[in-house]
Amino acid sequence: MAEEDPNWRSWLAAAQDGDTRAYASLLAAALPWLRRRARARWPGSSAADIEDIVQETLLALHQSRHLYDPDRPVQPFLFGILKLRGADVRRHRQRHSGRETAIDDISPDAGALMTRDTQEQDADQHRVMDALAGLGARDRQVLEMLKLRELSLKEAEAETGLSISALKVASFRAMQRLKQALKGDSDEN
Amino acid sequence: MKTEDLITQLAQNAKPVRRALPPGALTARWLLVTLPVLAVMVLVMGPRPHLLALLMQPRFAAAEILAAATTVISAYAAFCAGRPDEPGWKLLMPVAAFLLWLAELGRQCFVLAVQTHGAALELHADWLCVPAIAITALVPAVAMVWLLRRSAKFRTTHACLCGAMAAAAAAELALPLFHAADTMMMVLVWQMGSVALFTMLGALAARLGLTALHA
Repeated sequence: MAEEDPNWRSWLAAAQDGDTRAYASLLAAALPWLRRRARARWPGSSAADIEDIVQETLLALHQSRHLYDPDRPVQPFLFGILKLRGADVRRHRQRHSGRETAIDDISPDAGALMTRDTQEQDADQHRVMDALAGLGARDRQVLEMLKLRELSLKEAEAETGLSISALKVASFRAMQRLKQALKGDSDEN
Repeated sequence: MKTEDLITQLAQNAKPVRRALPPGALTARWLLVTLPVLAVMVLVMGPRPHLLALLMQPRFAAAEILAAATTVISAYAAFCAGRPDEPGWKLLMPVAAFLLWLAELGRQCFVLAVQTHGAALELHADWLCVPAIAITALVPAVAMVWLLRRSAKFRTTHACLCGAMAAAAAAELALPLFHAADTMMMVLVWQMGSVALFTMLGALAARLGLTALHA
């Protein structure tokens, strides 16, 4: 371990007494040193993992700065935290790596992200049912007969007592309102 | 979050902290609590007759000295375990002390077995050992957890194992002063078995206790 800057000891001792400037100086000076030591200890780790380990080390230092003895050098204290917290981070990664998939490089609409084959269809159906529920009773009745149950105009005429031309107009307007409702829904999303 | 931003936030939250005592000072404090408890326990249970003469016997004295050494070394290791700048070999010292103690008891058992033509190997149930060790070790174990609450920030499980072993070894230091084992094999199986059992269960309880204190 290279000779440490003698200021580090006085900075950490002052930080224990609540000196925020001395603490900021120590952390800023220790950061590149910690990154170097982490890279040297775990050469196979990604840059993101190294940064995670360094951040965990800084947090652990903050929570345990009362353990530092000002008569002793700072570097073995910091390096001890780096080793212990780094091992914790790597153990945690290895334990969870089997259950995790990196999704940064996968397109959001890729099939790999689906949990079920009918997931997209189910989501669309759910949106349409929601939009239908928001329409008036007359619109819902007309759409249900002509679009969902697929009755002919004559059959619908017999069931509702409306004329064929009135059913055509009602169906057209209900479809317009449904489209509008779906459009509003997608705008919200 | 960027590390530079984290540093700014940590520096802004640097409140004054009370420095933790070094491991040697914590060990001394723990002994200040533990030794009177052991003395009271021996007095309450009634010391064995001819205790001074017993302590003069090399065999008995060697076992007591090794129990005392295991107690002090384990306590010191427990207070070292939570500090990041203490080397890992200090955590193995209690294992070495315990094995040395066990080896000496084993040697004594072997020698006595040869001298008594196997009588030292007799073994029967001695249920007093387990509660005696547990009750005697209880206060030292609680004191250990209390003293560890600020210093066991790292390697907490190691700290708890060493601390529980210190409490159990302290109890085993006191036990032969008020309770006589019939044979050396009884010492090895019942008394040392109780020490091992208390170390395991005590470490588990201490871990839970420290987690509760840290929460």
